Amino acid sequence: MSDREMLEKIVQALAEYLKRDAASIKAAHHLRDDLGLDSMAVIELLYKIEETFNLQIPDQDLPGLTTVGAVAGYVQKRLAPAPPARAPKSKQSPSQSKKKK
Amino acid sequence: MRASVVVTGLGVISPIGIGVSEFWKAALAGRSGVSAITSFDPFPMDGYRSKVAGQILDFSAERHIDSVQADRVDRYAQFALVAAKEALADSGILMAKENPHRVGVIVGAGMGGMVMGEREITQLYQHSRPHRVHPNFIPVITLNSASGIVAMAHGAKGPNFTISTACSSSAHALGQAMHCIREGRADVVITVGADASITPLVFAGFCSLRALSTKYNDRPEQASRPFDRLRDGFVMGEGAGALILESAAHAKKRKARIYAEVAGYAATSEAYHMVIPREDGEEVATTMRLALADAGATPAQIDYINAHATSTSIGDAVEAKAIRQVFKSRADKIAISATKSLVGHTLGAAGAIGGIASVLAIHTGQIHPTANYDDPDPSCALAGISRSAQERKVRAALLNAFGFGSNNAAVVLARHAA
Repeated sequence: MSDREMLEKIVQALAEYLKRDAASIKAAHHLRDDLGLDSMAVIELLYKIEETFNLQIPDQDLPGLTTVGAVAGYVQKRLAPAPPARAPKSKQSPSQSKKKK
Repeated sequence: MRASVVVTGLGVISPIGIGVSEFWKAALAGRSGVSAITSFDPFPMDGYRSKVAGQILDFSAERHIDSVQADRVDRYAQFALVAAKEALADSGILMAKENPHRVGVIVGAGMGGMVMGEREITQLYQHSRPHRVHPNFIPVITLNSASGIVAMAHGAKGPNFTISTACSSSAHALGQAMHCIREGRADVVITVGADASITPLVFAGFCSLRALSTKYNDRPEQASRPFDRLRDGFVMGEGAGALILESAAHAKKRKARIYAEVAGYAATSEAYHMVIPREDGEEVATTMRLALADAGATPAQIDYINAHATSTSIGDAVEAKAIRQVFKSRADKIAISATKSLVGHTLGAAGAIGGIASVLAIHTGQIHPTANYDDPDPSCALAGISRSAQERKVRAALLNAFGFGSNNAAVVLARHAA
């Protein structure tokens, strides 16, 4: 899959989730500031991406995934090496959750 | 002096209609909303003893409510949103004009978000992939998801609770909402009952409990038959009812239409058995007496009883016995109906939907029939139960609701003296 196709796929997933026109979503858009995704919505989006691409995205990779382009680039990179990526066994930080309870 | 509490708005989603006017028209016609469960996609109904339920077929949340909100919650909470939206609009309350901290939400729910709950549990156990559990699983199955989302939908920042007492959940929600306003903690409480758990596991559980009707699988509309000699268990239903409770002073200030007053309430525990009521009916009778006392009403003032009447052999007989204990000779002069004969047992929604039928009986002077009351069971026959709609001036009505865990609720609704 080319970079462009990957971006289109991510944009499509976002458009479906946000129920808005795909053409209005740009690579440079910040998920929170431009598209209005709250932290829970970002987690839901990544959950969907994990399923679509058979990935596991470890917690420590989350901070970099702030724009549409960053997400597309990240997934592309993860899919590049064969065999399919697996979550690192390494220590996942116990919790980065900011949720209340 | 304690504040008088009134009902100013109604909303409902049920197997016999979405919206109060559709619901009430079908109810007065005695139409059954019980239908065959065709399958629990993807597996067939073969292993289930009961195969009927009061289902809301072809429900599309997006037709009624904001789809972004609907996407984040389970079916029962979508129902709660639909009913609450209708009730609030019906009441004429404009949230922009209210002090949001004086508007509360109290929801009664028995089972909660079981659609996603069952799906996620099944997938986890089948595939052993914990990282594939949906991120919304916890917020969705946490039992206050409906009270939370209803508050968010309307900006209601007052007290926000969920009452979960199985089949009596929303009768207690009505009572607790009444207390909340009586005690001056809120001007308005959006009071909702909601459940939607006609799901493979929950349905199987009720089958295993031998609580459901099994003899009418080929005649679904006849399966729910409270007080009838040939009743053989309850029929699961799903839905939601919403009532806007408001202090009378607040309602009058904004010149609202008042349907009825919530005049009294009692909550008791039989402290007896998880699923079986005491057969002597004493505790049910006590609950009704306490609710009447709380309302300052006498048995002679009650013209209508919306019975709990689930269509189980023992439950209906105990309730009828208790009604006789409380009302003595008047028991045969009171109009009585069982809303569950029409919609099945909507569990956590039952008190609210029965409450709406009671409020409408007071407001319209019409009492809906009890479907399938073809052959009165001598052990629970009361003259006021009827297969056809009754016209009658109702000064006050009693709403009964009893729940697993040995708990009882009774609510007195009355015509509001302006």
